[in-house]
Amino acid sequence: MSTPLLEINDLRVSVEDREILKGVNLTLQGGEVHAIMGRNGSGKSTLSYVLAGKAGYEVTGGTVHLKGRDLLAMSPDQRAVAGLFLAFQYPIEIPGVATMTFLKVALNAQRKARGEAELSTPDFIRVVREAAGELEIDTAMLKRALNVGFSGGEKKRAEILQMSLLKPSICVMDETDSGLDIDALKIVARGVNILRNPDRAMLVITHYQRLLNHIVPDKVHVFADGRIVKSGGKELALELEKQGYAGFDEPALDSATGLAS
Amino acid sequence: MPAEWGIKIAGAHRFAMKNGTPALAAPVAGLTAHIRKGPVGGANEDAVLALNHALVRSHLGLEISGQTDRIIQIDHWRGGPAAHVTSAVQIEVAAGASATVVETFSGSAAAHLGNHATRIKVGDGASFTHIVLDKSDHISRHLASFDYEIGADVRLRSLVINDGAALSRTYISANFGGSGSHGDFGGLNLAGEGTHLDIPLDIVHAVAGTTSTELFKQVANRGGKAIFQGRIIVARGAQKTDAKMMMAGLMLAEGAQILAKPELEIYADDVVCGHGATCGDLDDEQLFYLMSRGIDPADARAMLVRAFVEELFDFLGEGDLYDVLHDVMSGVASDWVAGQ
Ligand SMILES: Nc1ncnc2c1ncn2[C@@H]1O[C@H](COP(=O)(O)OP(=O)(O)O)[C@@H](O)[C@H]1O
Ligand SMILES: [Mg+2]
Repeated sequence: MSTPLLEINDLRVSVEDREILKGVNLTLQGGEVHAIMGRNGSGKSTLSYVLAGKAGYEVTGGTVHLKGRDLLAMSPDQRAVAGLFLAFQYPIEIPGVATMTFLKVALNAQRKARGEAELSTPDFIRVVREAAGELEIDTAMLKRALNVGFSGGEKKRAEILQMSLLKPSICVMDETDSGLDIDALKIVARGVNILRNPDRAMLVITHYQRLLNHIVPDKVHVFADGRIVKSGGKELALELEKQGYAGFDEPALDSATGLAS
Repeated sequence: MPAEWGIKIAGAHRFAMKNGTPALAAPVAGLTAHIRKGPVGGANEDAVLALNHALVRSHLGLEISGQTDRIIQIDHWRGGPAAHVTSAVQIEVAAGASATVVETFSGSAAAHLGNHATRIKVGDGASFTHIVLDKSDHISRHLASFDYEIGADVRLRSLVINDGAALSRTYISANFGGSGSHGDFGGLNLAGEGTHLDIPLDIVHAVAGTTSTELFKQVANRGGKAIFQGRIIVARGAQKTDAKMMMAGLMLAEGAQILAKPELEIYADDVVCGHGATCGDLDDEQLFYLMSRGIDPADARAMLVRAFVEELFDFLGEGDLYDVLHDVMSGVASDWVAGQ
């Protein structure tokens, strides 16, 4: 088997001396889409932030490799250049930075770091127009400050726009579906499905099964208390939908606080 | 004298002030220029201003009537061996006229002490934009005073940017003497290592029915000190004054200093006046977001500093002329960060 795109081995992470991730194991091969499902507070966002290199998380054990390279040794910008992309659960607003300027700086920073030529302005505008059209993003929105005054749905679509422009090898999407109505969800899912290819892997983090009707995963993992407690095919998501999380994580938990919590 | 001197602003109508000596430029419609003996008129209670009045030999006088569609630049340049350079400009904007004047300061790497004064009278119904940019060499000391006498129904915009001399004091004073006028005063101090930048501001709302905003931003790095002392005086009888003063500071490192001293002196009872100050460092969440897209930490910091100051340049609006000016102004901030 070829080198996995992403290989997470017994990853343990603490925040302020409290262990949040308690030994995560996960391997993504090129072309695969994996879903991670779990209750609020189970550690899904922590996993996505640790992969992206956010400060404040202490890795106390385990390893993460991206195409065989030690991901945890890299700074956040190096991880992005190496091919990692995180679609944020809560995208950050940056007043004073026009979205279009940001997209151009980010795209050219990555091209430059990889030794590729920077895109000319007309080429850049053409690429953005195409990608924005696909996601039904109004180009007027791109003139506004980054994520400022964007609706919840606009923010999520802007994340997927960035993802399609930056062409990462590993896409981590943290609850990209939350706050989206069904139409927006379909648009986002279509944008994501266009990006599925054999050289790319995706990790779709979600709380609800409905996104997985549109982005059909190869594997589903149930996340509870900082680790994967069960893995299966796409039918596992449907099972979760019916039974709630209670059957999968600690028996002490109340089923009433399952999926809808 | 180097062949290249001063600061180039494409398309501007430029007056040279080399070592304080005014020179005339080719005439343009709506603008008359003179060189006059002695100091500019007006009050000189301020010690630095009094020194300027006592020492200056001649000054540049500009009279603006009608609409001048080109940007007028006064390009101050100090060169040669270190010297005490005194200079002055008087600008009279006739009733109903409109113009933009940019004063730039630059010069060679000698320990000059500059003392400059500009006095501006803005006539009734006129609209006037005045931008001052100090890009003198770090080794020099820069003292400058800008005074605005404002008539009725005026629209005034004033912006000062300090990114040059290691020691600078930019004194801004304004008197609203006619009703229906509005002024926006803005400023930016960029204080790197070994730099002390001070902007004292005195705004007097002398008559009823005038409004102003004051927005001053200061960015300081380790070993830099930026100071804003803003005072707004609302005279007895100056009812319906609306004045809002704001200072926003950004500290880039430990050991940076940002000081703000706002003062309101209000002698009328039917007014809306306020002041505020905020100070913080770069937002870690924003930095992480930019870096997570592949932007390296230095560029991410530069983007956020530029974003912090950008609001000051919003008024420049669209159009070729203003695009040039915008690039010069916001380029100052990103160049400064890159040099830190
Ligand atoms: N920066 C942080 N500081 C303190 N606690 C945190 C921090 N980030 C996450 N946690 C805690 O870690 C646990 C997992 O949170 P999170 O990863 O956001 O879960 P999920 O995304 O699955 O809802 C929660 O108990 C949360 O309170
Ligand atoms: Mg989460």
